[in-house]
Amino acid sequence: MSPKDRGARNEDLDAEIQSHLDMDARERVARGESPDDAAAAARKEFGNVGIVKDVTRDMWGVGGADQLWREVRYAVRTLVRSPGFAAIAILTLALGIGANTAIFSVVNGVILRPLPYPDPGQLVLITSQFPTLGFDQFPVDAAEFLEFRERNRSFSNVGAYFSTAVNVGGQSSPARVTSALASASLFPTLGVTPEAGRWFTDQETRPNASPVALLSDELWRSNFGGERSIVGRKVDIDGVLTQVVGIMPKGFDIHDQGVRVWLPLTLDPDSINSYRGGHYLNLVGRLKPGISLATARVQLEPLLQHWREIDGGSSDPTQNRVHTPNTKNHRLRYDDLLTDIVGSAGRALWVLQAAVFLVLLIACANLANLLLMRAETRHKELVLRAALGAGRGRLVRQFLAESLVLSVAGAAVGLLVARWGLHALVLSNNAGIPRATRVGLDAHVLVYTLALALGTGVVFGLAPALRLNARSMSLSLREAGSRTTSHASAARVRRALVVLEMAMAVTLLVGAGLLLRSFEKLTRVDSGFDRSQLFTFNLVLPAATYADSVRRVALFEQVDDQLEQVPGVQSATAMSGLPPRRPVNANDTRFEGYVAKPGMPQQNVDYYNYVMPNYFSTMRIPMVEGRSFGPMDGAKSPPVVIVNQTLARLFYPGQNAVGHRIQPGGIVDTAQWFTIVGVAKDVKQGGVDAKTGTEIYLLDQQTPAYEGFAPRNMNVVVRSTLSRDALASSIRRIVASVDPGLPVVGLRSMDEVFDDALARPRFLAELLVIFAAVALALAAVGTYGVLAYSVAERRREIGIRMALGASEGGVLTLVLRQGMLLAGIGLLVGLGGALAVTRVVSSLLFGVQPTDPATFAAVGLFMLAVALVACVVPALRATRVDPLVALRLD
Amino acid sequence: MAKRHAPLTRIELLQGTLDLIILQSLRWGNRHGYGLLQIIRTMSHGVLQVDTGSLYPALHRLEKQRWIEADWELSENNQRVRVYRLTPAGRKQLAVERSKWEQFSTAVAEFFAAPPPEEA
Repeated sequence: MSPKDRGARNEDLDAEIQSHLDMDARERVARGESPDDAAAAARKEFGNVGIVKDVTRDMWGVGGADQLWREVRYAVRTLVRSPGFAAIAILTLALGIGANTAIFSVVNGVILRPLPYPDPGQLVLITSQFPTLGFDQFPVDAAEFLEFRERNRSFSNVGAYFSTAVNVGGQSSPARVTSALASASLFPTLGVTPEAGRWFTDQETRPNASPVALLSDELWRSNFGGERSIVGRKVDIDGVLTQVVGIMPKGFDIHDQGVRVWLPLTLDPDSINSYRGGHYLNLVGRLKPGISLATARVQLEPLLQHWREIDGGSSDPTQNRVHTPNTKNHRLRYDDLLTDIVGSAGRALWVLQAAVFLVLLIACANLANLLLMRAETRHKELVLRAALGAGRGRLVRQFLAESLVLSVAGAAVGLLVARWGLHALVLSNNAGIPRATRVGLDAHVLVYTLALALGTGVVFGLAPALRLNARSMSLSLREAGSRTTSHASAARVRRALVVLEMAMAVTLLVGAGLLLRSFEKLTRVDSGFDRSQLFTFNLVLPAATYADSVRRVALFEQVDDQLEQVPGVQSATAMSGLPPRRPVNANDTRFEGYVAKPGMPQQNVDYYNYVMPNYFSTMRIPMVEGRSFGPMDGAKSPPVVIVNQTLARLFYPGQNAVGHRIQPGGIVDTAQWFTIVGVAKDVKQGGVDAKTGTEIYLLDQQTPAYEGFAPRNMNVVVRSTLSRDALASSIRRIVASVDPGLPVVGLRSMDEVFDDALARPRFLAELLVIFAAVALALAAVGTYGVLAYSVAERRREIGIRMALGASEGGVLTLVLRQGMLLAGIGLLVGLGGALAVTRVVSSLLFGVQPTDPATFAAVGLFMLAVALVACVVPALRATRVDPLVALRLD
Repeated sequence: MAKRHAPLTRIELLQGTLDLIILQSLRWGNRHGYGLLQIIRTMSHGVLQVDTGSLYPALHRLEKQRWIEADWELSENNQRVRVYRLTPAGRKQLAVERSKWEQFSTAVAEFFAAPPPEEA
């Protein structure tokens, strides 16, 4: 029946019943009643017009939208009559659905949304591995890139890039932005064309080509006023006037780096052999259509096996360091680009999604219980409707309509909660998750929310609907109006739901507890230096204006000296690598007299750190052996090096490393050796949660003489009692006085640097604790509700017990025992569940076993305490039952 | 509304037989709902009192089953009324229901008329 037909039929029915009333009234008037009395009497005789119409309409069969609309209207009317119940239900759902929506929008934006390139599934990140050095994912060198691109048969195109940072002069003051040096093939590989202008030509990636750049949409707008005329003009990039040849579309990026400037990666195919061993490129390949990553891996295996032969090998023994890719100690590695970008954040996000889903399930269980109790108090109405012929189907539909109205309203409010939560908890917080800019409430998220709303509505609405079986309805006929009706089975269902809630809450609590403990352990990791009252910022010297290494060293010396003049500054120094999380810059390193034995490491050092002489004193890194750098280590005096404990232990087991000599990779004079003068305590560089790698400290002042270059990019470190703001103005003033073109970047306290490094575990622990708290609160409220209802139900029984002399204490124990029994069962089930599932989070834990007894015990005690509070209130109420009043009830 | 509680038991009594009574009443002539209530009361000498809350759902259910049909007509008072009439299918249904009812009432009657069973 179409809605239109239905409308007509509704009018017919109204008219039919009106005619009935009119006829009755007319006859009454004929019998002598007054017209008003007659109309009233006719109406009274007829009965409840609304219900009669309602039940009559039921006979028309299941209809379409109109029937649905009718149920919804009826449900809304019913709910409006119990605003308290409706408000609690909607609020609970809003929290549950809102939290789910917020987390799902993160999962959606980070994991599910495809990368913004055409056919992103074809894109593969190609890196390399050095199994013998323990490097699982390492860049490739330029020779490998050129050879791979030429010889592979699985990829239609391969591009190369590496990201760094440049100083860009624009209309405003110089800005430091992330840049990428990219091969001309990168854009065709990604399949994206510039919004304006063009991509690099191959010619522009050859040595001595005139400098060109592409700008990101974001930088173009923020620093160049969004003027299209910028294309073709020259801008200052790292001191070089560079022609802008194009603007990239909004949101274009590579590997979530936030690249703002694209520069050509200069490669000369003729000097391919000079590129070997310098691993710094990431490759992105586009698989040929129809070729899967797995097929490509198989196809590429022969290339890997014969690379050396194709390459012609090398007869020069000094070329020993050349890492031609092979199957043994230098493999290529292929990863789906999106999977690689998401990385380990994926698991964390799925864990959050699962946790928040549990919260919603608990909310559903609570609401199911509320509806069950409500259904029992509404028995009278239901019985009446059933008596008038409303079928069971109709009543089930009504229950579902009611729960769906609640859940959809909850979802609507939940969207607001999600919007707020997303900004407050995820986006405004440095969450340490990739692709955060892609997170938002998009159409997918809205569909998910709608599905969630309908799903939850059905789940918690079905419980009371299913209780409406034929037996309970027929029983009710006789019991209609009596409120002492106690259905043992209903009570069982309610108790089971409470146990389930408690169990889920306990599982969540254990998970949250484990992650919280992990986070706490992470914050207590010994970083290797004293980070209190320590500040840092980054300076990059443009290559063009600081071509001279001696000038570079001088600049940092100058900045440090002037900073140390500032009252309140104890000392200032500079280093190339910023702990606790810096990329590996491993390099082959010769160890004098080193004899490779099985089980001994390869001659390679994970981290090279260039530092100023007062580095160790400023950072307060203790020397374990030997001495620190000092005034005796001049720019031209014999080169010295300090190593970390890990290196000393690994390469000089059982000996004092001091006095031994090593030779850093890439050194000019291969006869020159650096003497180890000290062993410094390990400093975390590869991540707070990671094993410390081997590290050498080279003196920045000595690098021009012995290595032929000094780093352009240094992190200045200041130990000062000043506040960051007070320090900031001095820093800006001093840097500007030394070189006004240098932007001060990333000025933070070292504590903040560590906070950032722990952003993801903190984010995960924080959210899980919030979810677990909500879950426990919901479960406690659920326990309270069921217990309170049961006390109200048993008021008569309790009254009799008290009349018979039961003490208040006895009654209290009676109710408490009932509640705590449920909590206890819930606790056991929950702990069991936790044992089963915490293995899933084991890769997210640090220093804590997934079965950590302390966490399990603490959660158990905490949960029992909360449950006790939830039980005490109804128990106390039970003791206040007045036997006389209770017996007089009903 | 005190009256509405009392019919609770009566509805149980009438369930199943209401259809039969409506169909039989329409055999005597087409009628609107109000008229049906009156004729049922009259013909049963006031014993059978059908509740409106049962009548209209029943009429619409029988209509859906195509045992009766309805049309709008003008009453003697020039009022638009919805008048029901029996369809051929309804006629057959009435025969079936009626024979069932007669079997049932005969059985019940015989049951009560029977002499007490002899004790073994």
